[in-house]
Parts: sequence; structure tokens; C-alpha cells
Amino acid sequence: MDDAAMVGLMGRVTGTIGPGLVGEVIVRVRGGAEHFLAYASATQERIERGTVVMVVEYLPPRTVYVTSAYDS
Amino acid sequence: MPMFVGVVAGVAVVAVLALIGIFKMMWRVAEPNEALIISGSKHRTEGLEAGMGFRIVTGRGTLVLPGVQAVRKISLDLNETELHVDCVTTQGIPLKVRGVVIFKVGDDFVSIANAGRRFLDQQKMMAERVHNVFAGHLRSIVGGLTVEEMIRDREKLTGQTRAACGTEMEKLGLIVDSLQIHEIEDPTGYIKNLAMPHAAAVQRDARIAQAEANRLATEAEQKAAARMSEATRDSEILQAGYQAERDKAAAKARQAGPLADAAARQDVVVQETRIAELDALRREQQLQADVRKPADAQAYETRARAEAERDARISAAQAKAKETELAALAEANRVKTAANAEAESIKARGAAAAMATRATGEAEAAASQAKGLAAAEATRAKGLAEAETIKARAAALAENQEAVVAQQLAENWPEIVKAGASAFGSVDNMVVLNGADGMAEMLAKALTMGGTGLGLARQLLTSMNQNGQTPNGTSALNGLAAPTVQKVPVEKDEG
Repeated sequence: MDDAAMVGLMGRVTGTIGPGLVGEVIVRVRGGAEHFLAYASATQERIERGTVVMVVEYLPPRTVYVTSAYDS
Repeated sequence: MPMFVGVVAGVAVVAVLALIGIFKMMWRVAEPNEALIISGSKHRTEGLEAGMGFRIVTGRGTLVLPGVQAVRKISLDLNETELHVDCVTTQGIPLKVRGVVIFKVGDDFVSIANAGRRFLDQQKMMAERVHNVFAGHLRSIVGGLTVEEMIRDREKLTGQTRAACGTEMEKLGLIVDSLQIHEIEDPTGYIKNLAMPHAAAVQRDARIAQAEANRLATEAEQKAAARMSEATRDSEILQAGYQAERDKAAAKARQAGPLADAAARQDVVVQETRIAELDALRREQQLQADVRKPADAQAYETRARAEAERDARISAAQAKAKETELAALAEANRVKTAANAEAESIKARGAAAAMATRATGEAEAAASQAKGLAAAEATRAKGLAEAETIKARAAALAENQEAVVAQQLAENWPEIVKAGASAFGSVDNMVVLNGADGMAEMLAKALTMGGTGLGLARQLLTSMNQNGQTPNGTSALNGLAAPTVQKVPVEKDEG
């Protein structure tokens, strides 16, 4: 499993992502669902819980950068 | 020959078994909750950069050359570690926090590799390591929170936990599934006091609700009791009513026999009475026919006869009365005529007699007048002579009273003696003891009493003279009264 496999996956925010906060997303990966520490790809963006996000960057081992999947 | 075949077969079986045994020794399978870390000799690097020197197998089998490669297992199971930490909140309130951290080795190869390098021989001590890490971090986490936030705002707690521990645990190849605060010991009573107003309000509401519920329950119970009493009363009334009806019916049933008997007897009596009445009626009819009708006929006959007879007698009497009346009328006429004649004759005779009587009377009257006058003359002469006598005697008395008295006494002596002897008049039988002398003595006494009376009279006269009374006039004692002139009325017949 390489880095490319994570990028582009869809996930759901379980802990609010925002400036000064360490967020959390849960992503379907490797046949299960794992949670990752999450940061917003746009630095000032704030993403509330329950928002669907897309992984745009994966920093092993447990960190992803995400962006909101649907522009609201 | 068969011997050879048997040997070959046996060798083949042994060879097969040996092959199986060798394969078993070389083929390792990773279970779902573990990862195999294989190191040694050459190998393909899966998902890891070259130079790592080992490979990681999860969820499948792999061939391992014994003696050339080493296989170690690392558990991917969940671990937990208890936390007992004394902390101070941002408000400066000391707390003792009891919590638990649940963590596991990350599922990606990088995390497994990191964890494998750090904990492969210290998997039992992993909890202790994590506890040490978290004890410090929890202090900083609690220090960034207030008591209220810690109790109420779990999101903030988990956020702080991620911020404080996430990257650190990442280094260790671990992921934190959850951090739970089990218990917060509060030596200052801050939390208790914090809860107190709410608890009091809740208690108040609870008591109010309890009281209301009690009231409603009591009302419902009382209502139910009242309804029960009502139902019981109604039921008892109904039961009493039905019992009364039953008793009535039973009594009626008990009396049915006697009642029927009585009714039957009554019918019998009625019928008998009817028969008796009919008998009496028949007898009456019989009697009517036998007795009354003949009697009536006889009576009618008798009555008719009597009436006829009476009518005949009446007619006879009427005829007789008529006859008598006529006779009487005739007699009356006759008598009247006779009387008239008689009256005429009497009247004529009376007139004649009257004339005669009158003449006689007149003659007699003349004779009587003459005779009277003569008598009056004679009486007058006699009176005058007596008056002269009395006057002479009075004169004599006035001259000598005693002589007069004596004369009077002498004249009246027989009466006096008679009065004295009257004392003996009533004596039937007198015994005189002295004989003849005694008798003479007694008579002399009686006469002496008369003499005494004489003396008494004399004294009386004397006293009268002394009072100045005229000696003439009538005295009660001389016993003589003046002669009275009496007129003799003469009836004159004026006719």
C-alpha cells in the first residue's frame, strides 16, 4: 500500500478541523475504517464534524490533509 | 513383488509426511489481530523503503526459511491503561482524575514498523510507557480546562487530548481510540456545591411531583373506596330485595296448599249456600202456592163479604137517621107550638098575680108602720124610766160607796161563792181528816178569802176617790152599762 492509495479517498470529519485545532477524520481504508489526525489543506479553513472530506495529502504514519468534498 | 510395492508405498507416505512437516515449518500465517515482522536474508520490500531490513506481513501466509529468516509477531489488539493523576484546573482547583486510555498499534505499515522498532520485546510494558506519557499530558489537558468544561464538554476534552497526544503517539506508532475520564475526586467539594442548586431544584420538583402524585393517588383511592362502598350498598340493597322476593315467593308457595284448600272449601260452601237458598226459595214458592194463595182468596172473600155487609148497615143507619131527624123535627115543631101557648098563659096569670101581691103588700106596709110607731113610743118611755133609775142609783152610790159596793157584793155573792168553790170543783175525792169540823173550817176559809177580796175592793175605791174622779159615770166595777139605743131598720117595699 503506497501513498497514492490514500490520496483521493473520501472520509468523514469526527473531530472539528480548524486553525489551532487537531482534527480527526475517519476513512475507509484497508478493508476497515481507520481514523487519522487531520488538518485542513487550506490553512484557514474550518471544517465542522460530520462534513465529508477528501484526502488530498497523506503524511505517514497517521496524518492527512483534507479539503471539504462539496463546496457549500 | 508385493513386498516391494509395500515398501515403495510406505516410503512415499513418509516422504509426503516429511514434505508436509517441512512445509508447516516454513509457512507462517498472520492472524487478523497480528502482524508478522520477518527479518533476515533477502526479501521483497512491501510498502517500505529499501533499507528497512525487514518486511511486514498482515492477514496472509508467507514462506519463511527456518534458520535464515526470523519471524516475530506484534499484536494489533486493543490495549488500555489506567490513569491516576492529581491535576489543577485553570481555576486553580485541585482534582484527582481517574481515567483510562484505550489505544492500539496503528494498522498501516509505517505505524507497525514504528511500533515494532519500539515495543517488539516490550509489548507487556507498552501500557506502562503510555501511562507515563499520558500522565504528564493529562495534567496539561486538565490545566487547560475548567471543571465545568471537563464535566460537560467532552468534545473539548477529546480535542485537547488529540492536540496534546496525537502527534506524540504517532511517533510511537500508536493510535488513541479514546480517553475516558472515569472519576473526578473533588477534595474541596466544588463539584458537589456546583450541583447543589440543581439538586435542590430537582429535589423540590421531585417532592412536588411526589406530593401531587400522592394527592392524586389518594383521591383516586378515596374515589374508588366510595365507589366500592356505593357498589356494595347497591348490591346489598338488591340482594335484600331479591331475598325478600324469594321469601315472599317461598311463603306464598308454602301457603299455596292451604290457600287452595280454603278456596276449594269456599267454593263448596258457596255452592251449598246456593243450594240452601234455592231450597228456601222453592219452599217459599211452595208455601206461596199452597198457603198464601188460598188464604188470600179466603181473605178476599171475607173482606168482600164484610164490605158488603158494612155498606148495607151504613145504608140502613143512614135511612134510620134520616127518619129520626124527620121525626125530631116534627116533635120540635109540636113542642114549640105548645110552649108558646103555655108562655102566653103564664104571662097572663103572672100579671094577675102581681097585681094582687102589690095590693096586699101596700096594705101590710101601712099596718107595719103603724105598729112600729107604737112600739117606738113604748121603748122610749121604758128607756126614760130606766135612765131615771140609773141616775137615782148613781146618786145613791155617790153618797155611800160602801153601801153600793156591799150591795153589789150582795147581789153578786152567789157568783163569788161559786168562784171560791170552783177550787174544789176539780177535786174528785177529797179526804178531810178532821171530820165535819174540818169541813166547816175549810169552807169558812174559802169564804174568808172572799171577804178579803171585799176589803181589797174597798181600798181600790178609796184610792179612786182620792184621785178626784167623779163618782158618777160608769164604773167597771159596778158591772152596769148605760143602755144603748138601737135602731131597727125597717124594710120598705116600694112597689
